[in-house]
Amino acid sequence: MNYEWNVSINKAILNNAPKVNKILEENPYIRETAKELRNKKLDVLDNIDFYINKTEESVKKTGGNFHFAKDSNEAMEIVKNIIKDKKNIVLSKSNVLYEIKLRDELSKLGKDVWETDLGEYLVQINNDMPSHLIAPAIHLSKEKVSELLNKNLDKTINENTSVEDMVRAVRKFLMEKYLGSEVGITGANAIASDTGSVLLIENEGNIRIDTVLPEIHIAITGIDKIVPTLKDAFNEVIVQASYAGFYPPTYINVTSGPSATGDIELKKVSPATGPKEFHLILIDNGRKEAINSDLKESLLCIRCGRCYFSCPAYKYYGKDFGDPPYTGPTGIMWSAITAKKYDKSLLCMHSGGCREVCPMDINIPEEIERIKFMELK
Amino acid sequence: MDNDTVNRISKMKKMIFNNLMESYTPFPMDKKYYSSWTDKLPKNKDTIIYTSYMYQISVVLKRYEKLFPKISNINMPKRLMNISKFLIKPDEKELKRSFSIINNISNLLNKNNIDFGYLYDEEPYSGAILLESGFLSEFKEYGNKLYEFFKNKNIKKIITIDPHTTNALKRLKKLINFDIDVKNYIELINFNGSGEYVIHDSCLYSRAMGMYDTIRNKINNSGIKIDEDYLTTSRDMGTCCGGPLSLVSANDSDEIAKLRSEQLLKINENVLVMCPLCYQNLSPYVDNIKDLAEVVS
Repeated sequence: MNYEWNVSINKAILNNAPKVNKILEENPYIRETAKELRNKKLDVLDNIDFYINKTEESVKKTGGNFHFAKDSNEAMEIVKNIIKDKKNIVLSKSNVLYEIKLRDELSKLGKDVWETDLGEYLVQINNDMPSHLIAPAIHLSKEKVSELLNKNLDKTINENTSVEDMVRAVRKFLMEKYLGSEVGITGANAIASDTGSVLLIENEGNIRIDTVLPEIHIAITGIDKIVPTLKDAFNEVIVQASYAGFYPPTYINVTSGPSATGDIELKKVSPATGPKEFHLILIDNGRKEAINSDLKESLLCIRCGRCYFSCPAYKYYGKDFGDPPYTGPTGIMWSAITAKKYDKSLLCMHSGGCREVCPMDINIPEEIERIKFMELK
Repeated sequence: MDNDTVNRISKMKKMIFNNLMESYTPFPMDKKYYSSWTDKLPKNKDTIIYTSYMYQISVVLKRYEKLFPKISNINMPKRLMNISKFLIKPDEKELKRSFSIINNISNLLNKNNIDFGYLYDEEPYSGAILLESGFLSEFKEYGNKLYEFFKNKNIKKIITIDPHTTNALKRLKKLINFDIDVKNYIELINFNGSGEYVIHDSCLYSRAMGMYDTIRNKINNSGIKIDEDYLTTSRDMGTCCGGPLSLVSANDSDEIAKLRSEQLLKINENVLVMCPLCYQNLSPYVDNIKDLAEVVS
């Protein structure tokens, strides 16, 4: 085992697991909400075409554009058609963006593309892949980060620079990128089919800027993120944030179509101050097939990342337990669904902590057992 | 995952499955020897104590695991492989310890007024290794054979004594029509004990089968003091000894056992386990490690 990783993961567990436990003990409604959410998500999976259509109708009603992509290639073609010759693009943290290799593809086209989540920015300048769904840079020590920032951003940063000063330097750099950005591309933590709203949760404030400053906002996510109502969508982001150790979350962003105003004679006019275009791209990429397979339960995952810290394989192998961006116990499921990759499941010891902490009560060890079977049959 | 590993595991699957279908054991072994822990139990009972040879073979399993890659690489003929049962002899002291554990469990069941028999060298292996390695089709197929075997013996209730066998049989209940009652000995008995320990939970008992609270209640009521720590021993955060990984990588399995031991020893130098494989994995790194059945009466 890599010594640096051992130190990093143990620090992360110590900082996160007791905190999540405390949040759940102090707010018992969260566990109840999670149970309710599980049922709502099961309903969506059982009626997926109905909910995709309903989402489409709702997005269009808000003045937004709806797109459905059956795979990564289709999703990228849709993105290219939307952004055309626009060059300056800011991204928020999203595993689906990695899933469709969006940043790589746009960079190949000569676009100036920047991750705006601090962790993802560090992963980007390290030419690396995330090691955790919501904490992508936990494998990088402070020393390594100072080295990266010195090389890529500011020669005055060194190992003695405080974390606060490092964050300040990145913020200054990203501010310039925000101000020049033409397109903001985000994922989504939940999609409300009844209103067509995209909910995004965060602490840094970058997503808020990504979604309102550029004139085009594109949200790209999997069909598994649809929930029946806006209330369910709020429930999903609260459960996700709590199980990730962020309660209350600093920001919950709701986007329902492009910016608009009704301030003159109550006539709705779009755009107003924010984006003039809003696009939702829903991607299948194996998810529909999974609904009708032994892996249906896997699609209930809300990607809170809690299971990582209860997993001996992740603690030992780090991001090698999975195929980035989908690592850890949940990553084994998502890699199986979206990339038909099954081999890393063989490293699972079926320790079972993942199941104990899963807010969606997914029997993850049995899901992985079936994935092992797929690899070895 | 490299192709060699996947190929090796696939070959191993074939070998284990063929052995099971032919002889009810995962690899050639001396069943008479391993079932000689008792000669006092009746044979023809519809309730049986079922060892599935887990405590007995746990003492040689690591050596078999080392042998598997070699066997699969050279495609060793079956007659040569059969010789391995004579080559891989358990350490006498270790085997005596496993016999003593099984005898103590048997005595505890008697003390709790449970009437049962034993199949001696006719006892089959449960097939747990197939299930835990992801060989689900083979596990189900062997499970059907196992079910027929027990039915023909008129077995109505099986008392298991280790987590892997208990889990395998309970999973068979979900996967095939395995309608024989399965109970684990810990569920059936009350016991007395003393001393202070940190528990290394069996992942299968405490998480997969939901016995975490039952185990703690019984141990707490026995007089044994348990030291707990959320990050080390809770249901959420307690982790595996590394054992199940050994077929994929013996080295990684061992490293994980070492890390787990270090974690446990920070809580208490006396470690209590309930699984023969956990014992084998952790014992190189923990001096004072005991199986529950060694410390209660």
